[in-house]
Amino acid sequence: MHRYLRFPFMLASFLVAVACHAATEQTLTTEDDLGPQVQQPIEFPHYRHAGNRNPVDPTNSDPTKGGMEINCQYCHTYARRSLTAGIPPLQKCVGCHQNIPTVRDKPRIVELFKYWDAKKAIPWKKVHDLPDFVRFNHERHIKRFIEQQGRPVQEVCGYCHGQVKEMVTARRQKPITMGWCVSCHMKEHVVVAKGAIPEGGTPIGKQDYWYTFQKPAETRNAEGELTAKGPNDCWLCHK
Amino acid sequence: MIDSESTKNLSGQAFDRRDFLKVLGFGGTAVALSGCGNTSIEDGKETVVSYVEAKDYVIPGVAVYFNSTCAQCDAGCSITGKIREGRVLKLEGNPESSINRGKLCGLGQASVQHHYNPDRVREPLLRNGDKGQAISWEKAYELINEKLQGAKGEEVAFITGDVSGHQKVLLTNYIDSLGSKNHFVYEAVAPAVVRAGNLKSYGVEMPRYRIDKAKVVLSFGADFLGTWISPVHFAQQYAAFRKGVDGQRGVLIQAESKMTLTGANADRWLAVRPGTEGILALGIINALGIATGDVAELVKDYDRARVSRDTGVEPSNIDKIAAILRLRSPSLILAGSAAEGYVHGMQNADAINLLNHVLGNVGKTIEAPVSVPFPQLTQTKGNTASLKKLNDDLAAGKYKVLFNIATNPVYTAPASYKYGDSMAKAGFKVAFAHYLDETALQADLVLPLDSEMEDWGTHVPEYLADTAQINIQQPLMERLHANTRGMGDILLTLVKQRKPEEYKAFDDYYGYLRYAMLQNKAALGGSGDDDVFWNDTLSKGIVKLSGASGALSAKAAVEGLKLPQPEEADKQYPLRLIPSVTSNLRDGRHTNQPWIQESPDPLTTIVWDSWVEVHPKKALELGIVEGDIVKVTSKTGSVNVQVYVFPGIHPEAVSIPMGRGHEAMGRYAKGYGVNPFGIMDAVFEGSTGELAMHETRVNIAKTGQRVIVVKDEGPAGGKQMGRRVALSRSTDQVDLSKEV
Ligand code: SF4
Repeated sequence: MHRYLRFPFMLASFLVAVACHAATEQTLTTEDDLGPQVQQPIEFPHYRHAGNRNPVDPTNSDPTKGGMEINCQYCHTYARRSLTAGIPPLQKCVGCHQNIPTVRDKPRIVELFKYWDAKKAIPWKKVHDLPDFVRFNHERHIKRFIEQQGRPVQEVCGYCHGQVKEMVTARRQKPITMGWCVSCHMKEHVVVAKGAIPEGGTPIGKQDYWYTFQKPAETRNAEGELTAKGPNDCWLCHK
Repeated sequence: MIDSESTKNLSGQAFDRRDFLKVLGFGGTAVALSGCGNTSIEDGKETVVSYVEAKDYVIPGVAVYFNSTCAQCDAGCSITGKIREGRVLKLEGNPESSINRGKLCGLGQASVQHHYNPDRVREPLLRNGDKGQAISWEKAYELINEKLQGAKGEEVAFITGDVSGHQKVLLTNYIDSLGSKNHFVYEAVAPAVVRAGNLKSYGVEMPRYRIDKAKVVLSFGADFLGTWISPVHFAQQYAAFRKGVDGQRGVLIQAESKMTLTGANADRWLAVRPGTEGILALGIINALGIATGDVAELVKDYDRARVSRDTGVEPSNIDKIAAILRLRSPSLILAGSAAEGYVHGMQNADAINLLNHVLGNVGKTIEAPVSVPFPQLTQTKGNTASLKKLNDDLAAGKYKVLFNIATNPVYTAPASYKYGDSMAKAGFKVAFAHYLDETALQADLVLPLDSEMEDWGTHVPEYLADTAQINIQQPLMERLHANTRGMGDILLTLVKQRKPEEYKAFDDYYGYLRYAMLQNKAALGGSGDDDVFWNDTLSKGIVKLSGASGALSAKAAVEGLKLPQPEEADKQYPLRLIPSVTSNLRDGRHTNQPWIQESPDPLTTIVWDSWVEVHPKKALELGIVEGDIVKVTSKTGSVNVQVYVFPGIHPEAVSIPMGRGHEAMGRYAKGYGVNPFGIMDAVFEGSTGELAMHETRVNIAKTGQRVIVVKDEGPAGGKQMGRRVALSRSTDQVDLSKEV
């Protein structure tokens, strides 16, 4: 671009951006924003593994009717230990499947064992791919919502990943943009009292509130409960 | 509403996620923040590769740490490598090592760039005319075997750098098995004269220096903070020294002809006429007035007036030094480049060491070295005399097979050796190399080595601090390239060709190493289960040994000490060339690591290029300013190089740093700067036969060209040393490549 054009362009885009911001001000929402269906080397059926059991057929003999309600963390074991969720090692799949002769000749499983016998990693495609300058920490979210607040695992994972338990291969359901992340972090959350700490309890380690430089301003909602915003420092994600 | 599509159209260029920051620059901050235009997420583009089988401790995103040893120089600092997802990311010092105590120098930090270097040799290459043809390792070994069949033991020669540990054992066994006695241990920058001087003065080659115990340190060109012997260790001693013994902050005086990093840190820096450091030392003994007997006799002629005249150091400074040395004890006197650089280097070292005897420092700040209980593992120390001998032998056509193990003499030998031509006379030349450097390019067979982060090994550094120790080197990650091999593995295969029976039990070098260490478990301080001991050793990365330390000889070596008068300046070549050793480049073996090129020289802040340092007085006399390209000519040759006007150099000397000016090696090394080895005269130290690196005399002449010196300090193109360069254009208009 010509140099003399740069400033007018910057100015214009800034104005447009501001207008755009005003016009589309985000509601605090987790509304869906479906991403494209991604082709995977093996069509991994999440619904079979994590989906709800069929109440009529609790032994789950008919795959078309229900899943096995396997905890997400059983396979995605790294999410609670690391900032990246990682992908389960092939060993994990095989660990179970070598003991399930009934499905052994199904095409997907045959494919799986081909990789295993060749000791080759499966080249999965990344579905939830954040830009490189964003550092999202899985571990911390799991610590807070699952371990401290005791919320159901599938619900918590679903905040960002959507209803994976109903999908075949995972597909993005949420926008996962910064505005969307912030929409949650900007909410006034009820501060859950827990354990020995009388009020203001999201203590991870010995912290009174969330990981942040400053203690967030406290407010009380209509019911008189203590509320505070989630951590909001830039550096939390942009290191 | 502005979305990425319109941005793309507006800016007239393709837009993708990587352009996100550019958009930010275009005032698009609000766009990104408001979340309209949701395209910064890529679905299904990148591949995530999981592990097939993962160890329990492997968690993606969480680092694991392994201990190993830095192989960038011979100081032998211990390192801790941070490894994530099977890749080494960053090195730190290992706090358990008494050498570096958790610290690492810049050169050590850069070694990840050695490992990931794009220019590493990846396949065994056999010469086919001008080209290297990739061959298999089996073929390479066969070929070596075949060539050795046709050569007698004495017709086979090896040139290596410093070697120690089990690699040395294997190498020695291999050389023996060939019936050869020709192992040349060569280091272009080695304290060989200092070692010889120490042996004469103290009875040991390398005592332990205790800078931390000294109250005054007087260093004659020993750059112990930058490049000398074990710089990371000395830097920590120096910190203690500056904090002070008994509350007295240590005083550092540096006497040298070209300011080093250590000189720049000194309380008093004295520019000494090149080569007269010994005279200054004797002058100080004279001024101290405490010497007796034959020492007093020796120094009696070195009165202040004469010493001042010879060395260029003011009489008042000599008095001050004598006064502070008298006042504060113990002190420590160090002989560095003053010894290495001159024909009478040994005499200089003797005179300087004599000062330590006179001041009673021997035994106080100069301690006996710790001895390593395994002499077969100790370091075989390199020098430059060995290269001279090898070169003569090669030129005489003595060798049919030459093994060059990770050294680069074609680059570091003074041009007058014509080492390349000599090397060509050897029938079959094998180079074990990381890069296709100048020497490897002349070889018939190039064998690619693992980086030190892929290889096994043990090292016993020459300079040991508190206790004797064996440093473990272990792979920090898998091999990056399938066809590189560790030096240990290669040696094992080669020695198996000769002595299959003896070595048949070992599949690889790892097995050999483990076996050899376990054999000596008790002596290495281990007990109990073998696996426990071995795992413990690997996790620590260091085996500490209890080694007794010997004694130092208390008697001063005065005999034969006779210093020459400083020479009159040569008419044709009036200046002395000091090829300086800088802390990041050293002898140029790491120049292809871009961080090394990129990190500014500590004194001049120049990057990516060579320079010649000229004293302002000399510059004025010759009418040159910073950035002038001058021709530096010696008897041997000439180079064109940019001038950096620098007060930290003696007016009768100029200095060009070593390490740049490669003609091969890789994209980050080739073609940057000039190589002072190329104009170095072959002059040798009198008693050791070491190359006297400061004895080259040069003249400098303007070429008429001028460039902007690319450096950190000062504004480029702005006022530098009182003058404006490149006045005609503003800095963003200057094309530096055109200027040169
Ligand atoms: S001094 Fe620097 S380069 Fe040498 S071993 Fe220590 S860290 Fe490595």
